[in-house]
Amino acid sequence: MPSYFLYAGCLISSRLPFLEASSRFVLDRMGIDYLSFPRATCCVEPIGLRSLGYDAWLMFVGRMLSIASTERRDVISLCNGCFLSFKEAIHHLERKDVRERINRNLAQIGLEYRGGVEVKHIAEVLKDQGESAINALVKRPLKELRLACHPGCHLVRPSKLLRVESYFSPMLLGKFAEWIGAQVVYNELWPRCCGGGLAGIEDRISEAILRENTELFKASGANCILTPCPFCFLQFDLRQKQGIPVLFLPEMIALAFGASAEQIGLRYHRTKLDF
Amino acid sequence: MKKSSYDTALERELHDSLSHINLRKCHQCGHCTGVCPSARYGGIRPREIMERASKGTMDLRLEQDIWKCLMCNSCSERCQVGADPAHVITLLRNAAAIRGNRPPHFEEEMKLFVKTGMSFPRTGLTKKLRSEFSLPELEVDEKVMEELKILLSLSRLGRF
Ligand code: SF4
Ligand code: SF4
Repeated sequence: MPSYFLYAGCLISSRLPFLEASSRFVLDRMGIDYLSFPRATCCVEPIGLRSLGYDAWLMFVGRMLSIASTERRDVISLCNGCFLSFKEAIHHLERKDVRERINRNLAQIGLEYRGGVEVKHIAEVLKDQGESAINALVKRPLKELRLACHPGCHLVRPSKLLRVESYFSPMLLGKFAEWIGAQVVYNELWPRCCGGGLAGIEDRISEAILRENTELFKASGANCILTPCPFCFLQFDLRQKQGIPVLFLPEMIALAFGASAEQIGLRYHRTKLDF
Repeated sequence: MKKSSYDTALERELHDSLSHINLRKCHQCGHCTGVCPSARYGGIRPREIMERASKGTMDLRLEQDIWKCLMCNSCSERCQVGADPAHVITLLRNAAAIRGNRPPHFEEEMKLFVKTGMSFPRTGLTKKLRSEFSLPELEVDEKVMEELKILLSLSRLGRF
C-alpha cells in the first residue's frame, strides 16, 4: 500500500480544522500510512490566485511535488480545489520544456521535480479501500440520512485529467452512502457548481446559482447535503437560505465509523444536524 | 513598472497559448455558454469571450466579464473540439492582471499569500480549533518563508 502526505490546504487547515479532524479519524481507522505535508504552502488555488499568478502556480505546486517525490510519498488532498491545482500542474509538468523551466526556478531553492508523484482526492483513497473494507468498519449505519449528493466541479472536471468520477451522472458519493447505510434521494446528472467561486465578488450571481441548487435538493426531500469539497461545504453551510444541513464526505464516514459528534466538531456547523 | 525579460516571456507564453492552441479551434457553436452557470444569471458568456479574444477586440485593461467566471470547467468539459474556454479565461485573466486589471478581492488574497504563503488567514480561532482537535500546529517556519520569497521574486505575484 502506498504511503502518503496529507495535504489539508488553506481553507480546511485555517478555517475549518474540524474537517481535518474527521478526515484524520477516517484515515486512522482504515490504517492508512500518512504524515502531515511538510513545509506546505497554498496550492495557488485555481480560481483566484492562479488567475493572477499562472507562473507562480507551477512553481509552488512544483515545489511541493518535488518535496513529495524526494520523500517518496504520494499525496492525499482533502479539497477539490487543491486536487485540481495539483493534477493540472502534474499534467503541465509532463511537458519537457515546462518542467525544465520550472526546475531552473526550483534549483534556486535546492529542489528538483523528477515526476512520479500521485495525488489523490480523499474520495479516491476511500474508493480504493473498497466496499468490504469500509463496510467492516461501520459501527453505526446512518439510516436516518436522506442525502442530496453534490460532488463539486473539481472532483469531476476536467474528466480527462481527474478520472475519479464520471463527468455525467456520477455515482461515487451514492456508493459511499449505500456502504454506510444511508439513503440517496438526489443525484446530480451534470455535476453542478455551488456558486462559491463568485462569493464576495459577484454575490448576486453566486447566490442565484446556490439557490438553484438548494431548491432542487429541498424538492427532493433531502435532509442533508453530502459533498467532498470544503468550498462547497462552506458555501452551503454559510450562505444557504433553505436550511439543509451539510456533511463533508469524511464527516459522514467518520460518524458511521463510530466517531461522536463532539469528537469531529459537528457543533461548528452553522446549519445544525440532528446527531 | 519597467518590464523585465521575465514579463516578456510570460506575455509571450500567454500570447502563444491564446493564439495558437485554443482560439483557432473554436467554431463558435455556443455549447459552452449553454452549460455555463454564470451565463444563466447574466455573467460571463464563454462563446462570446472566445469570439472577442480571437478577433482581438478585447481591451484587457478594462475587460470585466472574464472576472465573472467561477472556474467550474463546465464549458471545457462540454466543448467538443478541445478549445478549453476555461483555460483561455485563466490566461486572459493573467494577461489582464499584468495590465493592472485585478479585482480587489483577488488582490487581497494575493497580498496574504505573499505575506504568509496561505490564501486564508490563520487566526486565533485557527489555533483554538487545531488544539481542540489535537491537530499539529501550523507554524509558518522561516525556511518556508525564505523559499517563498525566492520563488516569488522569480514570478509575477511578488511584483505587482
Ligand atoms: S469554445 Fe467550444 S463549445 Fe464554446 S463555442 Fe467554441 S467550439 Fe463551441
Ligand atoms: S468555467 Fe467559467 S465560463 Fe466556463 S462554464 Fe464555468 S463559469 Fe462559465
